[in-house]
Amino acid sequence: MEKLKKKIRSFSFWNWVIASIIFRLILIYFPNNLNLSSRPEVSTPLTSFRRLSEGYWLKQLSMSPYAGSMYHGSPLLLSLLGPLTVKRIEGQPNHLLYSLVSVIADVVSAMLIRATGQNLQVAYFGTLKSFDLVKQIEGSEVHSPGDVAALIYLCNPFTIVACMGLSTSPIENMAVILCLYGACSRLIPLAAFGWVIATHMSLYPAILIIPVIFLLGRGPDAPPRKLFLQMHQEKGVLNQSKLPPCFSWGPIIHFAFWALLWSVYVLVLCGISLKQFGGLWEMFKSTYGFILTVEDLSPNIGVLWYFFAEVFEFFWNFFLIVFHANILFMILPLAIRLHHRPCYLAYVAVCSMLKSYPSVGDSALYSGLLGWFVNELSDMQFSLFLFCGYVGVSPLSPVMHNLWIWRGTGNANFYFATTMVYACLQIVLVVEGVSAMLNHDRKLRSLITGKPRDAKS
Amino acid sequence: METFNNSKPVLVLLLLPCLLLYSLISFNSSSVEAAMHTNNWAVLVCTSRFWFNYRHMANTLSLYRTVKRLGIPDERIILMLADDMACNTRNKYPAQVFNNENHRLNLYGDNVEVDYRGYEVTVENFLRVLTGRHETAVPRSKRLLSDEGSHILLYMTGHGGDEFLKFQDSEELQSHDLADAVKQMKEKHRFKELLIMVDTCQAATLFNQLQSPGVLAIGSSMKGENSYSHHLDSDVGVSVVDRFTYYTLAFFERLNIYDNASLSSLFSSYNPSWLMSTAYYRKDLYKRNLEEVPVTNFFGSVMETIHTDAAYKALSRRNSGRFEAQMSLDSVHHAERRTLMKVNDQEETHDVNPEGNKQPLQGEEGASKCPWSTFCNKFRKGENVDSLVNYGLVTMIPLLVIPTWLVR
Repeated sequence: MEKLKKKIRSFSFWNWVIASIIFRLILIYFPNNLNLSSRPEVSTPLTSFRRLSEGYWLKQLSMSPYAGSMYHGSPLLLSLLGPLTVKRIEGQPNHLLYSLVSVIADVVSAMLIRATGQNLQVAYFGTLKSFDLVKQIEGSEVHSPGDVAALIYLCNPFTIVACMGLSTSPIENMAVILCLYGACSRLIPLAAFGWVIATHMSLYPAILIIPVIFLLGRGPDAPPRKLFLQMHQEKGVLNQSKLPPCFSWGPIIHFAFWALLWSVYVLVLCGISLKQFGGLWEMFKSTYGFILTVEDLSPNIGVLWYFFAEVFEFFWNFFLIVFHANILFMILPLAIRLHHRPCYLAYVAVCSMLKSYPSVGDSALYSGLLGWFVNELSDMQFSLFLFCGYVGVSPLSPVMHNLWIWRGTGNANFYFATTMVYACLQIVLVVEGVSAMLNHDRKLRSLITGKPRDAKS
Repeated sequence: METFNNSKPVLVLLLLPCLLLYSLISFNSSSVEAAMHTNNWAVLVCTSRFWFNYRHMANTLSLYRTVKRLGIPDERIILMLADDMACNTRNKYPAQVFNNENHRLNLYGDNVEVDYRGYEVTVENFLRVLTGRHETAVPRSKRLLSDEGSHILLYMTGHGGDEFLKFQDSEELQSHDLADAVKQMKEKHRFKELLIMVDTCQAATLFNQLQSPGVLAIGSSMKGENSYSHHLDSDVGVSVVDRFTYYTLAFFERLNIYDNASLSSLFSSYNPSWLMSTAYYRKDLYKRNLEEVPVTNFFGSVMETIHTDAAYKALSRRNSGRFEAQMSLDSVHHAERRTLMKVNDQEETHDVNPEGNKQPLQGEEGASKCPWSTFCNKFRKGENVDSLVNYGLVTMIPLLVIPTWLVR
């Protein structure tokens, strides 16, 4: 019965995967990719396809790809994806090859999410076994986090839109997921590679260093170590092998070495490719400098554009520091509190709410990663509210944009309202998720120690 | 000791202007020698108005058509027409200007771009165009944006006399004004070579005062002679072309963009009996031999093509002198070069063979046989940057896969 159930589940998983791939392929053949690449929600100054092809064209004319402040990405992406922007095949839609690359990136990300989820599932069952709690869990419906997360990622409308909108976020997401997969599976060169590439393409994945360090030092998500000690105190059995390992620094050093190696490699390649155009300093100014100083104030689903349009320039530096430091200030206390659950920490790190130029590709990523924690977050409050909120904001945002820009019957506040709601939803999601995770830990503790504890909400 | 200490600052003060002078001289001379011919400009001026001066308009428009046909684009032509003949109320053929009574060619087609028209053609504007000293609001299409690598053709036609040229029937451009403007242009490095062609009465006197090097000038008649119109078109009612321009056009109509007729063949094609005047040219300021200079150096826009496989990078001015020297060395040795011939003898045209697949700086070829130094050379030249980056990206994959596989 178990095997049949598992077989059905895995069969339907692959069904869904193939269905989503076919759906993407059908969407590719729609004319002009449904104009998705011109939507501000999909294409930001960092991920826009038009800017990538402009950068490539400038490079072909032996001018700096950053000339004219159009392209703000990595020069390596230009060498990789640039030729695909101009290649045309007779009788096929215009950017077929590039779309295929995005689809393949999505599929690879989904597979990696699945593998990481399976890792997490194994670790979860391992900890449950060591707590002798397996019997209590077996009765209830336990979803395979890997499958769920992979399916959420693939079938999420946000992911499909980001893929069809020809943005570079599928590839950035793939790098982030690669990093997390490598860290979960203790494949340190892979993790370092993913981290370096993700940081190189957009600056914010650099914060993933904290969860990655915890992942490598301690292993995937597990209840806090003191629970184990408490359990052994209670039960009186001391079995050293069942204890989770202490924090080990060896893998960290290994990771640091590989990260250094990959960063030097990537920087050398970038330096070579930008030799005549100002070198690495120009690249840093145009990519990281552009991200950090929020130069482009065109509308997107973030809140920074509106804010910086109304703040006097005198105060820009202060507010930029505040917003960017906010990301650190969010992660560091959570790192202390959730250090035993580094994957969840990674999920929170990826929910970058105060990013300079967010797009739906980012929400695709963290929605997918949310799937890893279906079991822990099953009792999350406001889940229906959040789901309906996302479903409501998604069509409203293009509508408000249309009202504002094309019809002129609305103004920027209309659009900003939807982006504010979106940011609120993200914040509520993160806060509720963290509470749900902590509640889950408390429940485990109450199960183990047998003492009833208040379940704070 | 004390006097030495006191004289030290004085010595330094004396040394500074010497150094300054030396650097200026060396910079000037080096910059002049290093300029390579990079573009061609044409300034075509018709200075007379009224219907009976139809032929001056037709002269200028014919030369405009020739110059465009041989390759100079509109961005690099400044066309100044003092009056509008095509849409003149006395024109029986509206929007059409002919330079021959057979009406074969309409010179006023769709793509005639007149930069200065009507009353804008004044001596002041003409001198502003030449010297580049405009008001800030003057658009780019009305400026002569030449640089030190430009060859400029300056063609002027109208009514003139002894050391002057009449503009708009109300003012004059004198020969020393022109010479002064050319001197300013030379100071500001606004041309590499300048060809002045004047078709008026007593045209040769207009460039009596020229002193700047690199200037070649030809006028349709000498002092005391008149330049005559060629023929009268009884249908339009006025003379439609001047003799000097007519024979110039006859020379150019036989050419296409690939011909290499030389300037000396152009100048020797003027027959005084046909012109009814002596076409006099002044080449004392022009250092090159007229037999070697193709007419397309001024009247067209044909450049040497060098085939390189990598992306094109514009050469800096500093390197161009060395480049030019080596190019001419190569040109002597290889037999595939275009050879200059006179149009009168043979009408054959040679195909313009590119320099083959040879790299531009061939002098270094023999020196470095070692692959590492050729690699370094190529790397320094920046030709293989893209392929290097691609190789780097490709090697990333095994570098990633192998340690991952080893670690697992």
